[in-house]
Amino acid sequence: MEFIAFGSFAILVVAWLVAPSNKGEIVTIEEVKKAA
Amino acid sequence: MENINSGDTAWLLASASLVMLMTPALGFFYGGLVRKKNVLATIMHSFFILCLISVQWVLWGYTLAFGPDIGGLIGGLDWLALRGVGMEPNADYAATVPHQAFMVFQMMFAVITPALITGAFAERKRFKAFVVFTLLWATLVYDPVAHWVWGVGGWLRMLGALDFAGGTVVHLTSGVSALVAALVLGRRKGLGSEAIEPHDATMTVLGASLLWFGWFGFNAGSALTSGGLAASAFVVTNTAAAMAALTWMTVSWLHKGAPSVLGASAGAVAGLVAITPASGYVDVSAAIVIGLGAGTICYLGIQLTKRLRVDDALDVFGVHGVGGAWGAIATGLFASSAVNSAAANGLVNGNPAQLGIQLVAVAAVVAYAAVMTFVILKVINLFVALRVPEQDEVLGLDASQHREAAYTI
Repeated sequence: MEFIAFGSFAILVVAWLVAPSNKGEIVTIEEVKKAA
Repeated sequence: MENINSGDTAWLLASASLVMLMTPALGFFYGGLVRKKNVLATIMHSFFILCLISVQWVLWGYTLAFGPDIGGLIGGLDWLALRGVGMEPNADYAATVPHQAFMVFQMMFAVITPALITGAFAERKRFKAFVVFTLLWATLVYDPVAHWVWGVGGWLRMLGALDFAGGTVVHLTSGVSALVAALVLGRRKGLGSEAIEPHDATMTVLGASLLWFGWFGFNAGSALTSGGLAASAFVVTNTAAAMAALTWMTVSWLHKGAPSVLGASAGAVAGLVAITPASGYVDVSAAIVIGLGAGTICYLGIQLTKRLRVDDALDVFGVHGVGGAWGAIATGLFASSAVNSAAANGLVNGNPAQLGIQLVAVAAVVAYAAVMTFVILKVINLFVALRVPEQDEVLGLDASQHREAAYTI
């Protein structure tokens, strides 16, 4: 179980590294609402 | 009185206070998620239930749930109006605290459970119908199921079902009933054609944080003593909540492109829901896996609900129904007698039969809650319309139901 627990957390850390970042394409709250 | 332990009594009364705070906290959690024309009405649902069930519980709720058993299905009326429930301990339930301390701790569970359902019918339910529904649901659904699982002689307890703090009794009953209520009431006017957005995300985050705080009483208090089991339940509760918040935020980030604050809040609640039935039976590694599962499965459950166009307004089924079922099943997977010597092991510790028992408990509670909620709503609708008229829905429930406004500046 400890191995699975460490593995679960490691998956999240990797996901944060590969998750998308806002590259400047959304700059207003109206665009945020439209994107949602 | 010589059997009363002051430490246990102090912890249980403090825990009851913590759990009491969860219901107004839920009001704020839900209140931030609705439009500002409905925020008072949404908070009122929780606050009113705190008052209503506090009285229902002492008059007849407690005896139906915990009174002397009748056929494994319901408690007898021996403790009506708390007759015989005094300052002496009741060894069947909690041998070291006054019976009234155990009763009032359980009252707070009975209070928050119908309050959870209110998120499903937010922004459209008539207040009068809500009042009648809550009283009938508490009496006909919560009290019997609490007896099945926790009452001495209850049939699921006798079967060996494990539910430390209410995964089936609280979350599965309310989550399934929420789904039924959402289906019976129908979708909100304008949903899909106009923007229906949370009016105050900060209020929701504050509500989620207070829920998390109160949940230590919910789970660690369910040890009913102030010893090691309470400490263990406290630790796994915090761990699962944190892990589920991180997971939900990550899944939504990958899915929608940004780490959602509301998503992290909902994820924490999902983790708290899922660890609830397991909190007295699992270690911290299992809590991490349970939190990971809650953050993922509950998120997917909500996406499915939305795809099916069910207007479960504040995602009660996705968080409490799915999370409660996952927690009950996870208890059958990860329970360990090394954590709690009074409990059976789960599947990973060599006892696959426990998983089967947990599945029976989940199926029975889902079926009973769904059917009874449907019947209750249909019967009420014969006498009082469940929904407000369309013009009242457009005006908002704060004005149309309560003749008040939340914000005047």
